[in-house]
Amino acid sequence: MRIPYFPGCTLHSKAKGLDDSTRGSLAALGIELTELPQWTCCGTVFPLAQDNYIGMVAAARILANAAKEEGGKLVTVCSFCYHVLKRVNYVIKNNLEARKKLNDYLEENYTGEIEPVHPLEICKENVGLDAIREKATKNLKGLKVACYYGCMLVRPASEMNFDDPENPTIMEELVSAIGAEVVEYSYKTTCCGSYQILYDNDLVMQKVEEILNSATAKGAEAIITSCPLCQFNLDWSQEKILQKNAGFQKIPVLYFTQLLGLALELPQESLGLDKHYVDPRPLLVGA
Amino acid sequence: MAKDLSSKISRDLIEHIKEISGQNANLCMQCGTCSASCTGREIMDFSPRMVMRMIQLGNSKALNLKSMWVCSTCLICTARCPRGIDIARLMEALRVINLRQGREVLVAEKIPLELLTEVPQMALTSGFRKLSA
Amino acid sequence: MAEEREMVNIYIMGKHYKVPYGLTIMKAMEYAGYRFIRGCGCRGGFCGACGTVYRKPGDFRLKVGLACQTMVEDNMYLTQIPFYPANKATYNLEELTPTLATLLRYYPETTRCLGCNQCTRICPQELKVMDYIAAAQRGDIEKVAHLSFDCIMCGLCASRCPAEIVQYNVAILARRLYGRHIAPPAQHLAKRVEEIKAGKFDEELDRLMKMDKEELQKLYNARDIEP
Repeated sequence: MRIPYFPGCTLHSKAKGLDDSTRGSLAALGIELTELPQWTCCGTVFPLAQDNYIGMVAAARILANAAKEEGGKLVTVCSFCYHVLKRVNYVIKNNLEARKKLNDYLEENYTGEIEPVHPLEICKENVGLDAIREKATKNLKGLKVACYYGCMLVRPASEMNFDDPENPTIMEELVSAIGAEVVEYSYKTTCCGSYQILYDNDLVMQKVEEILNSATAKGAEAIITSCPLCQFNLDWSQEKILQKNAGFQKIPVLYFTQLLGLALELPQESLGLDKHYVDPRPLLVGA
Repeated sequence: MAKDLSSKISRDLIEHIKEISGQNANLCMQCGTCSASCTGREIMDFSPRMVMRMIQLGNSKALNLKSMWVCSTCLICTARCPRGIDIARLMEALRVINLRQGREVLVAEKIPLELLTEVPQMALTSGFRKLSA
Repeated sequence: MAEEREMVNIYIMGKHYKVPYGLTIMKAMEYAGYRFIRGCGCRGGFCGACGTVYRKPGDFRLKVGLACQTMVEDNMYLTQIPFYPANKATYNLEELTPTLATLLRYYPETTRCLGCNQCTRICPQELKVMDYIAAAQRGDIEKVAHLSFDCIMCGLCASRCPAEIVQYNVAILARRLYGRHIAPPAQHLAKRVEEIKAGKFDEELDRLMKMDKEELQKLYNARDIEP
């Protein structure tokens, strides 16, 4: 099965590990991702002002281009890209005025027929958790993993239609399927502070400390996410938090696809595990 | 407050915010669920509930708060509002009114080099879109 | 009468002129009495100094061209944009690494791109400007270098950018990074330099040096010319 794929800017540089492990894992599960021939940044954030059409132009162009490929779907793994593509698609589908404006500007005739999908959905719905259980031959038994969704994947539920916005479980189901142990904690849909890393650093430090402490208090040994900005904030901030609070316990922050790739016994060096601030390899080598 | 309520400026402000956000702040019943959930609540000068009240009253000070800039548009307020108000859109309207007049808080030249060269570029793109004019 | 038909009406910065049909914008402006001190360079479409914007009645779209290459048309409203102030970083290429971080360090505004595509629309070289900015945003320096190779730095893209990006300066940084740090050194060039150093061409050069003007002219006229 081949599906068009939109990697997103960050996955071509800073989050290459997410790109490589997504392609690698899905290939091992029989799904080939074919990158769109030409794409730009999706815009990263959905414009919340009703009169801001220009903020949707890039995502609309990407969707219109995806409609020219076969498959009717567009896979994207970065939570921001997924959020923007899905919401802009929702607008084009349901808001005729916006649809006309965007199409007039782009000189396209796109009506929202593409379905943006996330690899978590592909794992559950297209591949199936049983098939994954079978193919995940590496023994991850005893590895305690906390799943972190953040904000962009699940909210707003009416448009994202992804999973329960207060208590999503799709990542946990995958973790169980590959044989690791799920750790329940309270902060899995809390925001990490997002782009405030550039404006209000303290906010991000505070949020990250809350989220990580909550997970480690429940015994988590690793956190997984699908968002490169969550990954960065949760990972990079730990050294700074440790400097302020000597009792702070560091914890590796991985992409869920890296863990999946590990379980599917992809070559470790293909997963980008060496690119994290808190090195996950000592933990995973034993796994 | 009574003066603010009757002034033309404040009525215009309410209308302007309504138009940009597509939301009716008057639906808010001041329960405070948004404030209790808010990501930035501890850093904000006025909690989301208070900002909502200021918009209801047409208090133009709502345009000069730190709160709207600290908002990370995580949408948890929107998701939990029992009155179905998309509070994040109201916060965005306050930002957008400022940004369209050139008032911004994220200035490219002032981002520390350590962050500028380390953060994933999506942080810059999203930060610029939400916080720079 | 015949002569009358061969004249076209143009409006330079709003002022009406009749100029002969078939002139380039640059020649038409000179015909109308303008003298170029700036905004004119090679007159051959390479230097990018004479970026011009124009409109035609009944068409809302802004059109562009190089004044030295674009022919005047009847009822053209035009002006030149010989200079556009640009954010231009200074750096020591030797000290830089060819990474996304380098691009963002000098031009963080690159990430403000809205994907509006106006830069590509306006580029007189027909470059895919938006696409190379997209490549810059994801740190693909090689792609920026290739896509922007024919850029003549006229600055029209920057004049249209709502995100205030100076695309051509981002691109030249990428091309410099590519040329200095990514592209492998040209083997044929290294080989030729070796040959010159080893004196392979000394004899031929000596022969040329001893020729008189007439002989040199004859030789020059008979040289191989690229088609």
